[in-house]
Amino acid sequence: MNGQTPQHALAHRALGTRVFYAAPLLALVIPLFANPYTQFIVNLTLVYVLVTVGFNLVLGNLGQLAFANTALFGIGAYTAAILMAHAGWPFWAAIPPAGAAGAAAGFLASVTALRGIRNYYLAIVTLAFGELLRWSYIHGEALSGGTDGLTVRHADFFGIALESETARFYVFLLIVTVIVKAVSNLMRSKIGRAIVAIRDNELATASLAIPTGRYIVLAFTLSGFVVGIAGSLFAVLIGQVIPESFGLIELILHFAMVLVGGLGSLFGSVLGALALTALPEFFRPFPGLYEMFFGGLLIVFLLIQPRGLSALCAKRWPALRDRYYRER
Amino acid sequence: MAALLQLAGVNVQFAGLQALSNVDLSARGGEIKALIGPNGAGKTTLFNAISGYVPIAAGSISLNGSAIHGLAPHAIAARGVRRTFQNGGLFPELTGLENVLAGLHARIDASFAGILFGTRASRAAERDAVARARRLLDGLGVSHLADVQVNTMSGGQQRTIEIVRAVAAEPPLLLLDEPAVGLAPPVRAQLVELIRRLAGETGIAVLLIEHAIDLVMAAADVIAVFNGGAKIAEGPPAAIRTDPAVLEAYLGHA
Repeated sequence: MNGQTPQHALAHRALGTRVFYAAPLLALVIPLFANPYTQFIVNLTLVYVLVTVGFNLVLGNLGQLAFANTALFGIGAYTAAILMAHAGWPFWAAIPPAGAAGAAAGFLASVTALRGIRNYYLAIVTLAFGELLRWSYIHGEALSGGTDGLTVRHADFFGIALESETARFYVFLLIVTVIVKAVSNLMRSKIGRAIVAIRDNELATASLAIPTGRYIVLAFTLSGFVVGIAGSLFAVLIGQVIPESFGLIELILHFAMVLVGGLGSLFGSVLGALALTALPEFFRPFPGLYEMFFGGLLIVFLLIQPRGLSALCAKRWPALRDRYYRER
Repeated sequence: MAALLQLAGVNVQFAGLQALSNVDLSARGGEIKALIGPNGAGKTTLFNAISGYVPIAAGSISLNGSAIHGLAPHAIAARGVRRTFQNGGLFPELTGLENVLAGLHARIDASFAGILFGTRASRAAERDAVARARRLLDGLGVSHLADVQVNTMSGGQQRTIEIVRAVAAEPPLLLLDEPAVGLAPPVRAQLVELIRRLAGETGIAVLLIEHAIDLVMAAADVIAVFNGGAKIAEGPPAAIRTDPAVLEAYLGHA
């Protein structure tokens, strides 16, 4: 009952590491089997992996009800689209600014949380922030193209033209793998522990000489960075950035991915995106059914499996439990 | 030897209530001082004032001669004050090991960039901390709790983990708020031994709030008695046992 001997634990951890590296390697062969449409769905899944990883940092790891995620997503997408469509930047050069813009917005959201606006109040403030941004996309026509949005063409990644789904796939896979690995490094360190400790008991965290305010700001900013980069990938994948992509329905999708995958679990974020990105596609021939299924799914998870798919997997395979330290 | 911790004329007020009035108190390295008194006497408020969780209205609190009152809790902790919490201050969804590692946070010398890129140095710093945390857990006989999530532990196991976490970074000053609540008698004896060993071997100063008078008598070098927000007596256990003011406060007659 009291768990494993250290040797067992080490063996489990080695297995966990192998799973981490095996997944992207196995994914490399997907284009051999996929047609352009399924390849598009796979690419979209990669975008949503980043969306969910970023959202989960604040919602699950830090435990703050901040719903600015579509705002961060939109800021990243618009930043990349504006730089590419108006200023003619190549895609690769537009990615860091998209991340930085998302990070700046995340930083702003953290200030409200630091000033004591928490729980439902934080949820409302951040929701309003998202809607305000959507309003500004619609009315800032000179820059954002208004309701028609911006068209992104000729995405160039260090000389590789991302004209096909396959080309986009390999570039996206590289970016997503690097970012997920970096987030994993952060979570399995003093930084990840501090963030989760704040969620569990903020007062006690401060009593251990951990500057809680600084880590709250860090978690929000990091979340904004990751989701902002997801936005830039989204812009290139869809080729069109419009205000409608960043509304409430989209936010509910992000929220569902975090919830179904597992609050506070990096592995869960990946699972949630894998499980839910393709889902709307199956329901395309049956209008109306998707919303019903989706709503039902959320309720089922909230009631029966509130810790999501990752908790189910961790129960079956302890190696897959999220750890907040590393021993090697 | 100069006192490590020095409180002079400390007042704490809550809306209309004088929670602490004019409290003088000191703590020395190697000394275990117990704070006793009825519920509402102001003992936990005193801990909260020292560790920065409630502001003081008057007086001063200094550590090693420099004032610490008015600093944020994490800044006071960074100067070497650690405390436990009466109602449990653990991180319930983390394991025993991860909790103790959080106590070592400031001692892990790794930069953000180093951690982000998984550099050799940052991994070594983390590995050292994990090894130290495992040794500490082992030293208190709870190595089997390293990989157990806190919210599945018994009350006594949680208390032990919280104490390991509090002492992990070798703080010069340790504040223990009712550490023996819910502990089985043999574990309580171990706790007394542990506290004495910490003070004796590592020379840290311990302030101990405890209702179990047998434990206080066994562990403390000095006892300070509080009632109604004021310190009414202080002295060695033998003297406190017969102090008229103490008997009055506890038994209602002298």
